[in-house]
Amino acid sequence: MSDPDDRTDSIPQRPLGRTGIKVSALGLGGHHLGDLKTVEAAIRLVHEAIDAGITFYDNCWEYWNGRAEDWLGRALKGRRDQIVLMTKVCTHGRGADLAMKMLDESLRRLQTDHLDLWQIHGVCFDNEPELAYAKGGVLEALDRAKQQGKTRFVGFTGHKDPSIHLDMIRRGYPFDTVQMPLNCLDATFRSFETLVLPELTKRGIAALAMKSMGGTATAVKKGLVKAEEMLRYSMSLPVATTIAGMDSLAVLRQNLRVARGFTPMSDAEMQALRDRCAKVAGDGRHEVYKLSLAFDNPQARLSHGLPLDVKQKEVQEMLFKEAGGP
Amino acid sequence: MNDPHENSVPYGCDRRGFLQSASLLSAGVVLSESLVQAQQAAPQLELSNIGPDLIPRKPFGNTKEKVSVIGLGGYSLGDAPSHQEAIAIVHEAIDAGVNFFDNAWEYHDGKSEEWMGDALKGRRDKVFLMTKVCTHGRDKTVGLRQLEESLRRLQTDHLDLWQIHECVYDNDPERHFAKGGVIEALDEAKKSGKVQYVGFTGHKHPAIHLQMLSYNYPFDSVQMPLNAFDASYRSFQMQVLPEVNKRGMAALGMKSLGGNGQPIIKGVVTVDEALRYAMSLAVATTISGIDSLAVLRQNLAIARGFKPMTAEEMESLYKRCAPDAGDGHLELYKSTMKYDGDLGRDQHGLPPHKDLPL
Repeated sequence: MSDPDDRTDSIPQRPLGRTGIKVSALGLGGHHLGDLKTVEAAIRLVHEAIDAGITFYDNCWEYWNGRAEDWLGRALKGRRDQIVLMTKVCTHGRGADLAMKMLDESLRRLQTDHLDLWQIHGVCFDNEPELAYAKGGVLEALDRAKQQGKTRFVGFTGHKDPSIHLDMIRRGYPFDTVQMPLNCLDATFRSFETLVLPELTKRGIAALAMKSMGGTATAVKKGLVKAEEMLRYSMSLPVATTIAGMDSLAVLRQNLRVARGFTPMSDAEMQALRDRCAKVAGDGRHEVYKLSLAFDNPQARLSHGLPLDVKQKEVQEMLFKEAGGP
Repeated sequence: MNDPHENSVPYGCDRRGFLQSASLLSAGVVLSESLVQAQQAAPQLELSNIGPDLIPRKPFGNTKEKVSVIGLGGYSLGDAPSHQEAIAIVHEAIDAGVNFFDNAWEYHDGKSEEWMGDALKGRRDKVFLMTKVCTHGRDKTVGLRQLEESLRRLQTDHLDLWQIHECVYDNDPERHFAKGGVIEALDEAKKSGKVQYVGFTGHKHPAIHLQMLSYNYPFDSVQMPLNAFDASYRSFQMQVLPEVNKRGMAALGMKSLGGNGQPIIKGVVTVDEALRYAMSLAVATTISGIDSLAVLRQNLAIARGFKPMTAEEMESLYKRCAPDAGDGHLELYKSTMKYDGDLGRDQHGLPPHKDLPL
């Protein structure tokens, strides 16, 4: 590493909206971390990511019934200060008191006394903005958590419909971040890129991208686009970071190759990619999270009186494994 | 060159305007005042065949046809316990004064049409017969082939109404109106006399229906979910029904019990309330899924001597349902993929029901 110009080989750091802090342009997704076979494998993955310069870490109270947070917490022992830590609260329309209990559980599992970012998870139902803003709703928990110093910044996430995101934003709460699916398929189907991203830029809210592969990567599997193209597209948008699921060192290293010394695609390249996808993406076939309940977790379904899918991995975990245990 | 999806749209449509309306429509908040106003502003469809033991009829759009306020759904007919009971259901419905009969080429792989065809033998002239074409984006030759099969199964030489089935994907309108698409099959079927009226159906999103209407094609009917929950969630009643009536088309209601009767099971409404609400809207008929003589008799009892609810009664029911209805869990056909058929999924490159149940 004697090359004086080796900083071109590092992962770019970008401002997180108007918060004053910076995050790496590539973030590590918490759900896939819980998908690894052992806690040791998860720890190794996190350590390698930190050493490579990934500073943004995603997680969620409900991922794998707490295992994803538990494993990340173990991996961050002694390294907490090197990273920006986010997790999510899973009220799904329920109120602030429940949210505060979830926050304390998340902090315990993550072995820290504060989060950098706490987001409302999976705002995916048309009435959730109304419920969040109601008296006693989850937004009051965001305020309390900030006041108590348990989180520095707050935001929300969701994968369903741009109109729900816009409803959350336009009711006026001062969110620091908003997370959403952003990829080259989205542009032609209920588009977060077209409808939500400009609104965030206008308001100085940090955009966090997810589902850069379309959730199940069917467009990649069918040969429509390459995984690398999809990740580069998402990272080329005006977002603070792109959160990517990485369930092996191989995937981590593949993504690091894209992120190191990352140069954004040109407008023409992005347009060409959108055009290539447009012919088949218009019915949502490669973004099933917008069409189906498949990506809506059991907590969300239960709180909205929706049927569970017993084949869903999360439901299997709920039924047959101890919460929080590896 | 042969891909119909790449051809230009002959009827012209403002895609951008559609996207904007789609985003506005998704906001689920409806003021009850506007519900009452909409109901009061809706055309008063004149009831005929009135009497305590009679099933009233209403005009089918701007045509001279009159259809019964309740229609017999073809899908559930194929769920009847036996061929014999299905035939008994159809006969008893006709004898009671039901004349609107619904079906679709793809229901139960043709069994629904076959059973209805058997039941209508010698009674064809007493009913207003509808079935649906299931191209799901494929070209008109597929549609016309299905028409011949439907006619053969239904044992008739003509349909009163032929509708494009299940417009539920955002790009369905574009595919249907593409050169060589199913719209051309509707035109040809009318010209040949095999079909008198044409329309389309769908259960997913008001924006898709409005997109279908935006091409200004002269549909005679539009079928959609209409019930006491809809007004609180991606509402066809608020967004599509007024437009359909303004154009003089016949509105056909379906899913009056929320598709699978969950709102009844959960105690949100009674069958009587749910069905009466749906029938009280500005619709020609409410198509009801009936899979047994017991259900038929229950629904006939509600339809006999039917008098529409007042706007105030409807508002009060809407308000009672609203707290439960706002997230779509009482209308799974809108909020999940549960009701999207495998044939349509296949044409749209999506996994079948067994792999993606919801």
